[in-house]
Amino acid sequence: MPIKWILHWQPNAGTTVNTQILSEVSQCAESINGVKEGRWKTILSFYRAMVREQGSANEFPRDFVGISLAEQPSKYFLVIRGQRVVVEAESNIQMIMEKLQSYKTRFVLTFEGNQYQLGDFQLRVGKVVPTHSESLRGIVMEMEYQPISSCEKSHQIMGEFFDLWQEALSKRSLQGHFVHLEPNFTEYGLPDQYTLQHTAVQYASITAQMISTAQTVQPNRN
Amino acid sequence: MECVVQGIIETKHVEALEILLQGLCGVHRDSLRIHELCLKSVPNLGLVSSEVRLLCDLEQPEPTWTVRHIGGAMRGAGAEQISVLVRTMAESKVSKNALRLFYALGYKLDHELLRVGFAFHFNRGAPITVTVSSVNKMLKLHATDEAVPVTPGIQLVEVTAPASSENYTEVAAAMTSFCEYLAPLLHLSKPGVSTGVVPTAAAAAASLMSDGGGTTL
Repeated sequence: MPIKWILHWQPNAGTTVNTQILSEVSQCAESINGVKEGRWKTILSFYRAMVREQGSANEFPRDFVGISLAEQPSKYFLVIRGQRVVVEAESNIQMIMEKLQSYKTRFVLTFEGNQYQLGDFQLRVGKVVPTHSESLRGIVMEMEYQPISSCEKSHQIMGEFFDLWQEALSKRSLQGHFVHLEPNFTEYGLPDQYTLQHTAVQYASITAQMISTAQTVQPNRN
Repeated sequence: MECVVQGIIETKHVEALEILLQGLCGVHRDSLRIHELCLKSVPNLGLVSSEVRLLCDLEQPEPTWTVRHIGGAMRGAGAEQISVLVRTMAESKVSKNALRLFYALGYKLDHELLRVGFAFHFNRGAPITVTVSSVNKMLKLHATDEAVPVTPGIQLVEVTAPASSENYTEVAAAMTSFCEYLAPLLHLSKPGVSTGVVPTAAAAAASLMSDGGGTTL
């Protein structure tokens, strides 16, 4: 499976993400000869423990998420970031979780947008919105390099492409930039060869970072 | 959803049962070595307690994992008239970290078993699976190499078939019809309804062993 970096938009201090930025990013992909190929969608659900004693939910993980990836809708991924656990399952694991009634989904985010082919690279630019809402919570980008599957071997070329992309984007004077913070895949027990589990871990990670950024900007929210 | 019946057979008659099943099913048996971990939610988790099973197939070159949830059985007058148990059941293949995940979510190991035996998968009016296995307990945590039989000399026979709310009566009928062929060797009934071993089993087994199953029982 080709290596993929997932980036999220970090707004400048005192600013927030908006649809104009999303539009500029998409235009930038096209301006560097990215060929629009179609749409993509990934869905991330936050699970919350159902507890009998009020106020004891903190005994259980608060960073437990379930992810349905665009590439493989027949699969479902469960991640507990704090415990560095990722599990790949069939999509009906969602039904099993519902039947157990120990955890319920409390909030669902949709990542969706357009996909562009750029030589051996595939770019996906997407908005992050709560499901059934148009309230923009973030912008993400997927950067995939098709010839290489090794995380280690791809690092240089991915870094170089990322730098080119940042340079192209910087000409648009946007209030922010894309960030790539790669999780430590080894801590999750993942190999050097890239898999969908790596993608799931990246989505869990950038979601946590976006939430952290949002809480920094608006600490009294919640 | 699935339809289920169970029965027991003395280990000394298992070979005869295998000959009978081979003749009836027309397929080769699959060897079975399943490590089953039964997990229960900790007291505060969930408005009601929940159970989930993790099955590790040790027969494969690389162990594979499945999560299984068994739900409530169908009740009422309709259920009582059916000779098989109809219950909700859902399972999903999972990657190897599933046990760690459920521990982190607040599930604890309630008990674990090792099932060793064989299974026949075939179609006879419905996709049916017959599993014949010894149920073994581990003397030390996860020590599958040191498992001992829970009931020495006795093995468990399970007949199952997937079903839906639209077709469970047909599936139940197909299973019941098939189970009649096994009657000389064992009685199959709903789980929880014990019928013991069959008095004719020894004679039936001898007949099967003497001519490799050519005799009609």
